[in-house]
Amino acid sequence: MSVKIEVGAGGIPHNQILIYGLVGSLVLIYLTYLNTYFQTEYFAFFGGLAAVVALLWGTDTIKHLCSYGLGTGVPSAGMIALGSGVVAALFGATTGPFAPIVTIIIAAIIGAVAGLMANAVVRMDIPVMVVSLIELAIVGAMTVLGLAAMACGTFEFLGMITGTVTFLGFTMLTYETSVIGGGIIAVIFMLGAIAIQHPFNACLGPGEQQDRTLMLAAECGFLSMIPVAIISFAFIGAYAALIALVISIIGWLYTYQQYIELSKRDAYAWLDAQPIMEPEEGGA
Amino acid sequence: MEEIVFGIGITALAGALATVAGAAEDTESDIGSQGDPNSQVQLAPQMGYIHRIFNKAVAGEPPAYGLWVALGAGLAWAFMAMQINPILAIVLGSALAVFVQGVYATTAYLGRTASLAKFGQPVYIDILKSMTTVTMAHAFVAIFTTVAMCHLMISALGHPFPLPLLGLVWGIALGAAGSATGNPFYGKERQYQEQKFGAGVPISASGNIVRYAEAGQRNSLDNGFFSAKLGGPASGICFGLIVFFELWRTVVFEELNIWGPIIVGVVVILIFAIIDRYIEVWARKNFGPYTTPEEASS
Amino acid sequence: MSALGGPKQTAGVQPPTAIGIVLSIILIVAALGLAYYLVQMAGVIAVVGIIIGGVLIAFGVHFVPVGGAPAAMGQSPGIATGVAMLAAGAGLAGLFGGAWAAPFGFAVALAGGAVGGGLLMAITCTMVNVIYIFGMGIPAASGKVDKDPITGDTFPEYKSQGTEGHGLPFISWVGGVVGGALGGLGGTLIYLELLDVYQAQLPVLLNTTVEQIAPVAISLAGVFAIAMFLINAVLAAYNITGTIEGPHDPKFKRFPRAIIAAAVASAVAGIFAIGLLELVGVF
Repeated sequence: MSVKIEVGAGGIPHNQILIYGLVGSLVLIYLTYLNTYFQTEYFAFFGGLAAVVALLWGTDTIKHLCSYGLGTGVPSAGMIALGSGVVAALFGATTGPFAPIVTIIIAAIIGAVAGLMANAVVRMDIPVMVVSLIELAIVGAMTVLGLAAMACGTFEFLGMITGTVTFLGFTMLTYETSVIGGGIIAVIFMLGAIAIQHPFNACLGPGEQQDRTLMLAAECGFLSMIPVAIISFAFIGAYAALIALVISIIGWLYTYQQYIELSKRDAYAWLDAQPIMEPEEGGA
Repeated sequence: MEEIVFGIGITALAGALATVAGAAEDTESDIGSQGDPNSQVQLAPQMGYIHRIFNKAVAGEPPAYGLWVALGAGLAWAFMAMQINPILAIVLGSALAVFVQGVYATTAYLGRTASLAKFGQPVYIDILKSMTTVTMAHAFVAIFTTVAMCHLMISALGHPFPLPLLGLVWGIALGAAGSATGNPFYGKERQYQEQKFGAGVPISASGNIVRYAEAGQRNSLDNGFFSAKLGGPASGICFGLIVFFELWRTVVFEELNIWGPIIVGVVVILIFAIIDRYIEVWARKNFGPYTTPEEASS
Repeated sequence: MSALGGPKQTAGVQPPTAIGIVLSIILIVAALGLAYYLVQMAGVIAVVGIIIGGVLIAFGVHFVPVGGAPAAMGQSPGIATGVAMLAAGAGLAGLFGGAWAAPFGFAVALAGGAVGGGLLMAITCTMVNVIYIFGMGIPAASGKVDKDPITGDTFPEYKSQGTEGHGLPFISWVGGVVGGALGGLGGTLIYLELLDVYQAQLPVLLNTTVEQIAPVAISLAGVFAIAMFLINAVLAAYNITGTIEGPHDPKFKRFPRAIIAAAVASAVAGIFAIGLLELVGVF
């Protein structure tokens, strides 16, 4: 109804987060290329870390965009971000070693078109719309590419559509047991779509604090890494997947605990099994 | 013929699973005040009504269930790819998806409530401890049944989509059906049960939700048992009918003619149009106008 | 979805800016040209199909009666959920039916998709009225019009005090079914076009049979269909600023804006989806 979106002021400026997010996710995703270079699978987890960094940036972008009031929920911004992102990420993936850079360019194009349409044709007339949708599409694309690379150890398209099946001791090449052929890309899509909008959707309100929201974004990222790490047991070696799983669980436990501490800091009171505290002077 | 009988059996089973899923989904989201009634739980403290209701704004129900079910299906698919028995794989996948759901529920409650500090709304830790587990239990039922239903559609009925993609499709449909049917019952009848029955909540009453129970203070478990009376089962019937008719028209009539399922689908839609019109007229006749037309036109 | 007050709920229809229109035409022409350059005539047909699919989705969203958070309190008419996601639910259920019927040919699959989406909305809308009437004792009343254009029922005297109407009048029910059917049709059309392209290209590229490559082609087409569905549905939701009662709502007149936006967004996303396989193995 009349719930106004209010955001806290201050904190790290958005442009700084943008640069850290863009460069950070690009570098981290390129670290998974060490897999191809050294012919191993142990570096797959860097893809997940790239997604975490991208989600931190995306959360701050969503906060800026949604503080204008879109007329529809915060989750829809996550949906359009990942919808544009998945197209860009899979197109980018076909370009081999250039995948992350091409992905960013394609995502920027799709995001720019969506933003221009929203402003110039649908007439939302929101000043940050075009820039925000470009950023969100890039974040969505990097999240998809990062998590997909984490699941199968590479960000190259052929790696995503081929897998192996061991049957009665024979190892066969198959297209069905792969990240795309098995539909795992749909899981990654939804993991990103919820993780990108949840931190701001959960923390919005007059007491919103940037550090708490961003900590939650990191928590959502690590939480999304856990199931992807488990799924990756089906695609990459057990030890490589185990490393990814351990890293995600440690990261998640740390950020979750930090988030609870920050919530305790910001909460009005932290009570266990206490009755309703009626406001003293009849209403706040 | 035998194939059709087998198909009808699978259809009935899938419909039954969907019914259970719909009922569990709506009860889960009402215990967590997810979906649209959430706005009132969020608004109440700002109006000076401090409450002890679980406020878990993960996302709207359709995207949230899109994720839970797709995740359960994806994990189950991965376990099956590791040569684990399908039933065990679905159980394990659903359990892990429920873990993710539970974590999201706690962070949503903490985030929203901490941001309401200005209005004096405290964080009640016991709510997290007691309600999150209950929503997780309901979510497990909803996710397990939906993933099992999707698995049946692939392995027994031969749908071409892979399991996670089908999970995403039916998860979003489950959330859409559950939120559409169940939300008003919780939002109007439970949160605002002190308002007049048989009328919408006046906009001026927004935020004044019921916070005290028959004995003591209301918590969200009280809302769960209320939703389980009508909102949950109705959502279950809604989703069950959707899945049943969607499969039934294809399984039974595709053999007769490739256009058969489409004609039957149109007929079913027309039947629902008649039912809807009948109850609409029934309501107009029995509930009567609130005011005479002359007054209303002023 | 969260109820978040939109910026200019009551403002009149602002036409698209001239730059917006020019840009739209340029982008669509560019997409068609690029498609011809990449995949020849089949590519152009596929892009046109995707544009039509996207337009159908965006148009369909305008029919779906969605009241958002106030509807959950019986304060405004419509279904109590988010418009983009409800349309997605219907459209994807249609996609389920359409994909299943794909082997029987184009027309059957499209009709199957449309009926699937319409069926979901028919059952959902009926159950919404069941809850309103038998669970809450509230008859349907529209807030935007005084008379149902189909049945001729009058509404003001059935509207309870202090609300903007409630429930789903018959016109909204019909709108919901039409919207679901259009969504299912559009989603299935995008899926079929992409599937055709991938099934033609992948076996050549990887030197395999169509059967072997089917899981990849189906998954790619399915995921892209869902992604484009969501882009178009969200753009349409922005156009109606969240809530709408159905085809009788004054906001319905805004639909041309969403159609242009959806056509361009689909064309651009579609060209990348079609050109996807052109670069495999180049680098």
